[in-house]
Amino acid sequence: MTEDRPLPAAGPLPAGAAPVPAGAGPVPAGAAPAAAAATPAGAAAPAGAAAATPAAAPEPEPPADDLAWRRMHPVTPAVKGWKVLAAVLAIIAWNAADDVRQLAEWLGGRAWLVIAGVVVLVALVGFGYSAIAWRMTRFAVTDEAVHLRSGVVFRQQRQARLDRLQAVDVVQPLLARIIGLSELRLEVAGGAGSAVSLAFLREAEAEQLRAELLARAAGLHPGRRPRPAGAPTAAPGAPAAPGGPPLATTTPGAVPATGHPATADPDAALTLPVEPDADGGWEGPAPVAPEHPVYEVPVGRLLASTLLSSATIWLVVMLGAVGALIAGTGQVGSAFALLPALLGVVSYTWTRFNRGANFRAAISPDGIRLRHGLTESRAQTVPPGRVQAVRVTQGLLWRKPDWWRVEVNVAGYGSSGDQTQTENVLLPVGTRDEAMLALWLVLPDLGTADPRALVEAGLTGRTADGGWAVAPRRSRWLDPIGWRRHGVTVTDRALVLRSGVLVRQLVVVPHERTQSLGLEQGPLQRRLGLASFQLHSTPGPVSPRVDHLDRRVAAGLLDEQATRARTARAGAGPEQWMRRA
Amino acid sequence: MSTPEGAAVHPQPDAAPVPGGAPVPGAAPVRESEPFEPAGVDWTPVSPRLASARLVVALAWLGVPLVVLVVVAALTGSVWVWASAALVVALVVWVLWLVPRQVRAMGYAERADDLLLRRGILFRSMVVVPYGRMQYVDVTAGPLARKLGIASVQLHTASPGTDASIDGLPTAEAARLRDQLASRGEARLAGL
Repeated sequence: MTEDRPLPAAGPLPAGAAPVPAGAGPVPAGAAPAAAAATPAGAAAPAGAAAATPAAAPEPEPPADDLAWRRMHPVTPAVKGWKVLAAVLAIIAWNAADDVRQLAEWLGGRAWLVIAGVVVLVALVGFGYSAIAWRMTRFAVTDEAVHLRSGVVFRQQRQARLDRLQAVDVVQPLLARIIGLSELRLEVAGGAGSAVSLAFLREAEAEQLRAELLARAAGLHPGRRPRPAGAPTAAPGAPAAPGGPPLATTTPGAVPATGHPATADPDAALTLPVEPDADGGWEGPAPVAPEHPVYEVPVGRLLASTLLSSATIWLVVMLGAVGALIAGTGQVGSAFALLPALLGVVSYTWTRFNRGANFRAAISPDGIRLRHGLTESRAQTVPPGRVQAVRVTQGLLWRKPDWWRVEVNVAGYGSSGDQTQTENVLLPVGTRDEAMLALWLVLPDLGTADPRALVEAGLTGRTADGGWAVAPRRSRWLDPIGWRRHGVTVTDRALVLRSGVLVRQLVVVPHERTQSLGLEQGPLQRRLGLASFQLHSTPGPVSPRVDHLDRRVAAGLLDEQATRARTARAGAGPEQWMRRA
Repeated sequence: MSTPEGAAVHPQPDAAPVPGGAPVPGAAPVRESEPFEPAGVDWTPVSPRLASARLVVALAWLGVPLVVLVVVAALTGSVWVWASAALVVALVVWVLWLVPRQVRAMGYAERADDLLLRRGILFRSMVVVPYGRMQYVDVTAGPLARKLGIASVQLHTASPGTDASIDGLPTAEAARLRDQLASRGEARLAGL
């Protein structure tokens, strides 16, 4: 890039002035595109911006917009740096253990000094990188979206629309929890890695921000028209008092015959402490929506249920195999072959227990609130209408105590295929009444006169009583055990599917959450006049389908369900749930 | 699009003996209630050129082992190698018979509010995708498909289970369908 371009302009100028534009030419020419394109803030650090903060070299200049950019908590690098250190050391230990050992032999006595030096170096790099990353990370909240800028080498700007918010989680890993920090995760329906993670914030700040985001996502606007209607509720972050009088107790019998708690109208029972005006404005900090505890899972039951799972059966089988191996070969060493599998089962069991511990569910105007976790605690908020499908299951070993597990599909949580994933769990283990409460959390109105009877029939029923379309008797050739339980029924609000004789399963999908529908028929099904119906839901543990229905029933279901889903969508409320009325 | 060959090869479900003993209410077959023949739906078949495209690929895969086997058989004279070659020839004949039928069984229909897709002869499937549930539309065409003037259109919803791809659309039809789907999707857009 030489002075070719400035020359025509410089021509008429006096000779002495010519070098000035020529010399300055390359600089604006290079900087102009960056400024015009509004590239990542501070990427080029234009001259004007650098003058404003001359001290900081890697300092990203706040973008020249009117957003109020904020930073994470300054302790963040200290918490995140450990991860880098642990990761690097783990990689070295896995991949280069032999090389390191050789090196240690070669170095002789000074080996430990060198290793310590390497660890310190890695730690310095890890913490240093985390510190720089912290400097480069900023976020801002507007009425419509959350903006996040991050990245040291590769810059990233992420903007998550609040009306597309699927869930908000406050996560506290053990270390952060000790220090009193939280990570705020905003889940949007963009698949794996699409969440906006704000890590780490002060606990109170995270709670406050969550309340603010939820209020904005609900369609309220802060500070537009001040009109406080009441004192804010309990301090943010205070968990639902376990001893407090619960809205709906978990004792059997508290659930009336309708299958729903007495206060079945959440809108009547729960109102925002600050009454938003017609425009949805409020003054001061965002009101924290009050919440009412619905159920909690006692540790004893969780422990018992974890032990009564298929993993335990595997553990016993494997221990037996180890014992047999040792007894058979007389060598303890041969048992080590089974060690990895054994460790896998133990870690699975531990993870499941660890994540499900202290499980508490509550209902608030902002949706379902879930809190759980022993070492890493997680507080989830799933706004109304974000649950795409619900599944209630019962394994063979849980039949005696009549325990059930409830899982949901939420677009933001997705599915990692990891069995220990717990974002999707609505109830890790509960009685039948609690399972019904969990179902009620998702669908307060099941759209039928007698929801309890409907759910009972779905959980254990085997007949067509109560309006179930069941698999005909001839389907026993294809599914000799399970055919009795295959069934489907429709209410005004949802499609209800049941299956499984050994592992009982009930799936509920609200009509307006239907993505697409499918019909399948294999050669044997064709001979028997059967067809399988399936409903496609967002990624998650629940995949609603019912096998081996009569082919005409399945065809009719497909046709009617398409119409019902369309009607339900047309009548569904807006994404901003506080604007429903 | 009907598949008369399919009906001829596979016995009518109604004619099949029903082991359960329950009589199938199908003495007078009502076309409307057939699972894969919804009432009032005009199925559009895909281009027969898709069969050519698929056959070229399949024969390329089968042709190489066939040539190798024939050469080896001619050199060694082994009966087993000749038998293997014959097996591959049988496979080629089967593919030549199957693929055009498979392609003829594929079809789609644009209804007022949703798109219907169906495929399969032995294992049949049908998918209903509401326009308002569409998140994005993919149009792809490989070198062979471009040569033959066809493309495939795939609809994506928020569910990974939605297997809604239409292969073998003439290029112009693919473009029209893409624009049509996009505009209909926008008109009926709903959240998740």
